[in-house]
Amino acid sequence: MSKHTEIDELIQAIVGGEAHLSVSLAERLIAKGLTIESLIQDGLTAALQSLNAKCTNEEFNLLEIVLAGRAMMAVMDNVVARYLSPSKTVVSEPDRTILLGTIEGDIHELGKHVVKMLLRSSGYRVIDIGKDIRPEEFVDRAIQQNAGYIGVSSLLTPTIPSIRRIKELLHKAGREDIKVIAGGGAIQQTTKGDLNVDFVARSAFDILHYLKNLKSEA
Amino acid sequence: MTSYERVINSLKKKLTDRVPVVPEVFGVTAKLCDYSLYDYVTDASKLAESQLRAREVIGHDMVFAFADLAVESEAIGCEMIYKEDTYPAVKQPLIKNTGDLETLALPNPLKDGRMPVVIEASSRLRDAVGDTCIVAACVMGPLSIAGQIMGIENLLYQLVDTPDAVEKVLDFTEEVTRRYGKALLQAGAHCHILFDPVASPMVVPQEIFLRLELPRLKKLFKEFKQEGSLICWLSIAGNTRKILPYYRDADVELATVDYTVSLSDACKLVGDLAVNGNLMPFSFVSHSPEKIKDTAKMCIRETANKRDYLLGSGCEIPVEASIEGIKALVEASHELSYSGNTTDERKKN
Repeated sequence: MSKHTEIDELIQAIVGGEAHLSVSLAERLIAKGLTIESLIQDGLTAALQSLNAKCTNEEFNLLEIVLAGRAMMAVMDNVVARYLSPSKTVVSEPDRTILLGTIEGDIHELGKHVVKMLLRSSGYRVIDIGKDIRPEEFVDRAIQQNAGYIGVSSLLTPTIPSIRRIKELLHKAGREDIKVIAGGGAIQQTTKGDLNVDFVARSAFDILHYLKNLKSEA
Repeated sequence: MTSYERVINSLKKKLTDRVPVVPEVFGVTAKLCDYSLYDYVTDASKLAESQLRAREVIGHDMVFAFADLAVESEAIGCEMIYKEDTYPAVKQPLIKNTGDLETLALPNPLKDGRMPVVIEASSRLRDAVGDTCIVAACVMGPLSIAGQIMGIENLLYQLVDTPDAVEKVLDFTEEVTRRYGKALLQAGAHCHILFDPVASPMVVPQEIFLRLELPRLKKLFKEFKQEGSLICWLSIAGNTRKILPYYRDADVELATVDYTVSLSDACKLVGDLAVNGNLMPFSFVSHSPEKIKDTAKMCIRETANKRDYLLGSGCEIPVEASIEGIKALVEASHELSYSGNTTDERKKN
């Protein structure tokens, strides 16, 4: 079987959510001489793009996304991490660092976990500070961690006043350079003006698009 | 024509004086009596009083015996987080593994958690409105209760990793829905809305809905009907295009449709089932009453050829919504009233 076909097989296994198969295919490819950079670029990134296309066409559901995310992370943790030191897999610069949390008044975490998996798979340094988090903690932790972005997740509309406060607190701290991205559940019905944020993500991949566009604008 | 007659006639595809208005107003009604959400979800008299007051003020066509989405999981044994002005939420899943199911006992609706509160609220509401207005209680469906007691992320993984064991969990949660649903009907509710947000195609593939959810819904609706339920009513949020054509196979009679599916599409997809929806819930927070009224009129015109259409929101109206915005729905229905009119006249108005 050609290496090209085997990479396609890996992509299909990841998109299909088959974690064990994905890891064994990735290991076989590395054993045959594929570089780790090619594995990431031609395998993992291509799988992400394939998932992204499904999302764009509304042909997705959370189950498929979390399974694919789990398969992707299994390859990252069991294969990629063995060959690259952490400093090479992720870059800790602000424009590659995002702090994620679920806002106070809400304890739902599934959407945040999906975003975390996608961002980590794309090489971002992700700091997950958990659920039911006060706006002040988002801001303090983002500054401490030298994060360029705050990702705030919420399923519930009553949390909107707390989401709005994050940007106000960043302004008071003189750190308006830190961008605020909101996403999740009922938030999808809102605008960035409603939430006083820089961007409202309509899907997990929307965040990746936003970050990519910001980078290309910079 | 009473609200009861308006809704029932509409469901029977008979002429009514105006389109019935059935928005999902639950916790938002508490503010009309100056009660906190905590009061509303824990006190039967306050829940009933809020619902009745809301109907007086808004003028819509139904009252709801519903506290929040966690009543079933709390009655099973989940520890809850209570706050004054937000709905209670499950603190953490009750079981990590499907094998832990054996540690759980089926709840007694008359004793466990807040099920007795909502059951008493059903009685109070029925005593107050009799048969002039439908009392709709609300129950959670099997997949969503499973998501709460196992944790949603865990449920999704287990659906694939241990499918047989998940079926046992769903058998258990189906029985919870059945017992609670029957108790609500026996207490006086005319029907239920069965909510199952986790069954949405945005969460699980259509195949899971057809294999694991649909047969359970069919059994539940059949038994609720035998218990006297007037309406088999299913409310699943999100883009439900892929599952709407199958609702009839579960004997659904009324489908609530979210804003992500156009009403004209929904009417085609459900066939001859009645439809309720589909204003965007957050629009009751962010839009003016005038704008809401315009949107409501568009909904009424869009369904002009469908007598069994009930105007409403595609999902729960947020607790922070303005009451004036909800009243705009009723005003739209009155302004486009079509007593004795043909559907063509309804389109013109």
